[in-house]
Formats: sequence, C-alpha cells, structure tokens
Amino acid sequence: MRSALLIALVMIPLVLALIFMDGMMQGITDKYILLQDGHLQFYNLDELDDPLVQSSDLVTSGYGIIYSRDKSAEVKLKGVKEDYFNSQRCAELKIKEFKAESTGSVAQIMVSETLLKELNVEVGERVAFILIPEGEQKGVRPMLAQVATTYNTGYYELDSSLIFLNYEVAKRYLPNGGRSYLEVLVDNRGSGHLDELGERLAKGGSWASWDQFNRTVYQNFVTSRQVILLVFILILVVAGVYVASVSNELIQDSFQAIALFKALGAQQKSIRRSYFWAVMVVTILGIALGLVVALVLGHYLSPILVWLSKQGFEGLRYYLLDFKVVVAYTDLLFIVGSMVIIASVTVMFTLKRIKEISPLEVLQQD
Amino acid sequence: MSEVLLRFENVSKIYPSGSSHLTILEELNFSIEAMSSVAVVGKSGSGKSTLLNLAGALDRPTSGRVLFKGDDIGKMGDKELSLYRNRHIGFVFQSHILLEDFSALENISIPALIMGESARVAKKRAYELLERVGLRGRAHHKPQKLSGGERQRVAICRALINGAQLIIADEPTGSLDEASKEEVEHLLLEMVKEEKRTLLMVTHEQALAQKCDHLYLLQNRGLTLV
Repeated sequence: MRSALLIALVMIPLVLALIFMDGMMQGITDKYILLQDGHLQFYNLDELDDPLVQSSDLVTSGYGIIYSRDKSAEVKLKGVKEDYFNSQRCAELKIKEFKAESTGSVAQIMVSETLLKELNVEVGERVAFILIPEGEQKGVRPMLAQVATTYNTGYYELDSSLIFLNYEVAKRYLPNGGRSYLEVLVDNRGSGHLDELGERLAKGGSWASWDQFNRTVYQNFVTSRQVILLVFILILVVAGVYVASVSNELIQDSFQAIALFKALGAQQKSIRRSYFWAVMVVTILGIALGLVVALVLGHYLSPILVWLSKQGFEGLRYYLLDFKVVVAYTDLLFIVGSMVIIASVTVMFTLKRIKEISPLEVLQQD
Repeated sequence: MSEVLLRFENVSKIYPSGSSHLTILEELNFSIEAMSSVAVVGKSGSGKSTLLNLAGALDRPTSGRVLFKGDDIGKMGDKELSLYRNRHIGFVFQSHILLEDFSALENISIPALIMGESARVAKKRAYELLERVGLRGRAHHKPQKLSGGERQRVAICRALINGAQLIIADEPTGSLDEASKEEVEHLLLEMVKEEKRTLLMVTHEQALAQKCDHLYLLQNRGLTLV
C-alpha cells in the first residue's frame, strides 16, 4: 500500500503539471487568437465567403505609449466595431458594464484592470497617448482619452498591453488610420490548416496567421511542452528505479518464501511471473490512484492557483490562472504507458535475483 | 522383495573450505525400499542434512549417483528437478516453515497449486488432510495462531497433499515440547503407513528412530545399519 501511494505521489504532480500546461497553453492561445490577432489576418479587406470562416471583423491597430499622471506604458491600440465582442470573445474576458460620461471629443477607451492598476488610474479619468506610426511612416501623434470601461482576460501579458477603442475613433487618431485588416476566426476544421486556408482565402493578397505574429510565444509553447515531456520521461525513469527498489524489497522480504516455493517444486519462471505481477499490480494501482486524484485535483487547479496568487505568490501573476481544464488523453496514455513499460523492464531485471535463491536456503533458515 | 525407491550409489559430497576441501559424505551406498520408514541418526555436523538435501534434490552430489526409481537425479535439469520435488517429494522441516501470511489451508494447498491443480481441488484435498490431523476447525488460522504441534501437523499435511512417494523429514519433532512430540511422531508414522508412503527421517530422538523399519547411523562420512 505504501508503495502504491508513493507511485501515486509521483503521478499526481506529473498529471497536474500536464493539465496546467495544456490548460494554460490552450487558454493563452485562445486569448491571443480571439482578442489580439484572430486566426488569420487579410489586408485586402474583401468580404470572405467560406464555410470554414466563423467570423470576419474589420479592425485597425497601432502602437503607442500611454501616460497617466505619473506612469507610462507601451501599448497596442485596437480599433474594433460594436459587434466585435461576440459571445465567443466575451467568454475570454470580463468587461465591466460601466459607461463613463463622454467628455466632448475625447476618445473613449477600454483598458484592462491590470494596466489601470499599474498606471494608477481610475475609470472615468483621462490619460494621454503618443501614437507611433508603423514602419517607414512619419508623424508621431498625441491623443487624449478617457477610460470608459475595463476588462480582464486573466492573462497578464495580454492585459498589460492591449487597449480597445471604437474603430472609427481609432481610424481618426492613429497615424495614417493605423493598420487595417480583416480579423478572421475559423472553426475547428480550419484551425489546424491555417496556412492552406490563408493561402486560399487571400487569393494572392497578403495575409498572416496568429502564430506568425506571436512566433516567440508559439515557439515557447512548443519548446516548453517538449522540454516538460522530456522532464516527465526523466521523472518516470526515476519512478521506474523506485519500482525496481520495491521489487527488490519484495524479493528480500520473500527470500524464505521463494526458497520454500522452489523446495516445493515451483519453477523459476512461475515464481518470477507471480512476483512480476505482484509488483505490477502495486504499480498499476499506484498509477490509477495517482491519475484519479490528479484528474479530480486538476478540475480545481485553476481556483487553487487563483487563490494562491491572491495569497501573495507574485510569480503566478505572469501565468494564465483562469483556464479551462484540458486533459491531453494521448499524452496521459503516453505517460502511463511509459511508466508501465519502464516499471516492467526494471522489475524484470530485479527479478533475475530469484534465480540466485537456492531452495537450500529454506533449510539453512530452518 | 519391495521395489527400491531411492538408491545412493558411491555418493560423495565435498564442500570447498578455504584452500582445502571438506568431505561430508564419502562413497555412500544405500537404498530405501518403497513404503518403508528409514531413520538416520548421527552427531551434529555428521552430514545428516546433506544426505536429506541430496535425497530431496535440493543439492547435487559431487560424485556418484542418486537414483529415484532408477532415474539419476543428478542428470535432471532445473525444470525436471522442480517437477521431481513437486510430484515425488514431501518435505517436513524441523521448524515447519509455513508462510506466515497464509492460512493453514493455503499453506497446505501450495504444492497442489504448484502442480497445476485448480484452487477448488487443492482446497478440497487440504480440508480432507486437515480433517485427518484434527485441525479442520483451524483451517483459516494463520501459523502464528497455531501451537508448535499444530504447525507441524499442517506441515505434514503439506508434505502429503500431492501424493509424494518419499517423505523427507528433518528433525520433525526437534522444536516441539514433549506432549506435542508424541502427538506429531504418532501422526507422521501413522499417516505414512496408511498412505503407503516412504519415510526418510533424520532425528536425534532415539525413541522415534526406533519406531522406523530401518535405523542407520551416520558417522565418519558413511552409513551403518544399526
């Protein structure tokens, strides 16, 4: 029982780490796609008609520096139309239903709670911008804006740099009207073939996919996942060594029993088989217990991490803590399969010791 | 004349001892007839246990042959030796050697299960034997809940369950109190006789040795019929 519990204790963090990693990666990817870049961006602005296209929004964006009374930050401004925040996007962020009073021609903006806190600004207060032209364009422009409402995606990196405003207002203030494009979301059938779809829908025009804009983020995800899976394998090898020690201990404890079985005529092969299954049953029980506990805990991981973050674990603020549980069953199967294979191999090696136990041992201990 | 069940032909057993050798048995010749009981007595260290180990195929002779019904045990491979021990030999050890985590019934069933009998058949036979030794009511008791005499009776049942022709007993009453000694002696000899088995026993108990058909003295690396 103790051995099964220890194996379960190895499995629990592995599965939780996998759930956290996949949930967070999926959550961050969704937020980047739904709120920042879409799946695809097309620059010829022609209407798109394709069954794989879920939504197509005309947006414009630019970069600038936001100033409060005593702080500043580099931000991306994104001009969107009223229907931009559809139900799918609203699921990714919480918008506070607050309308500040309009103060003449001042632009109304939606800023994240995170950025407001960093800038030390309240809703309804004014902030200033210096808008920076893109590429070779000239003409830095100032802009005065009022914080009309706030949002919160739960992801620091996104919240600390993205500001929304009305499309028409953005066109008016951003240098040269900003960079306008069609931001396209595609359905599940299309999300796995963005390059092919982008090429087809652009009809020779220029286009880009979300991962091209977020190459570093995307590559970091892929690399982190590979590294973590590699670490998992190393942990599993260590767990395999532990299983081998369980097997060794079992043989040591059963020294006299094994000698007796041999004296009573049991063949080495059948003794080895019995002990192999005894250790494997303990291992499989431990794995199953670990999986069940980790899957149950996994469903409460997000609120636990949010709670920990609120308790002062500052490091957690850079992670996406409010994520949906994603269980990568293929990877889980891979982890479980690897654990069983590693355990089987190590156990088979240790069980070779059975050959060295002579039936005579039973008489020497008599 | 009865059939010879076990024959030792010029059997020697020599153990390496540092740079020299220690000869325990030398050119030993003797045979045991089927359905007889043979007791071997001798001083400690005279080679009594070695003799039993060779007869029970737990060890191999350095030279010579141990023949069971004419078959040379020394020429058997590991698999054949296991089969030989399982089907033809029943061991009764001095301190019973029962598995502590198993009940009396389970301990008795082990050789039958090894032989490939179903659990149901093994259990049925074990119950019958427990009945005969008066321990049916203790079938599910673990060894630590049994007295020394009861444990040895369970060990005798285990030796008999597969219908082994040769029962090898190494000081079967050596660790028992006087009352239990008599009870186990009586049971062992009676069951061997009733079941028409052959008994090869090493003992320090002169009274028990005298009750056997043949009594041998092991001394100076050889056997003498007393």
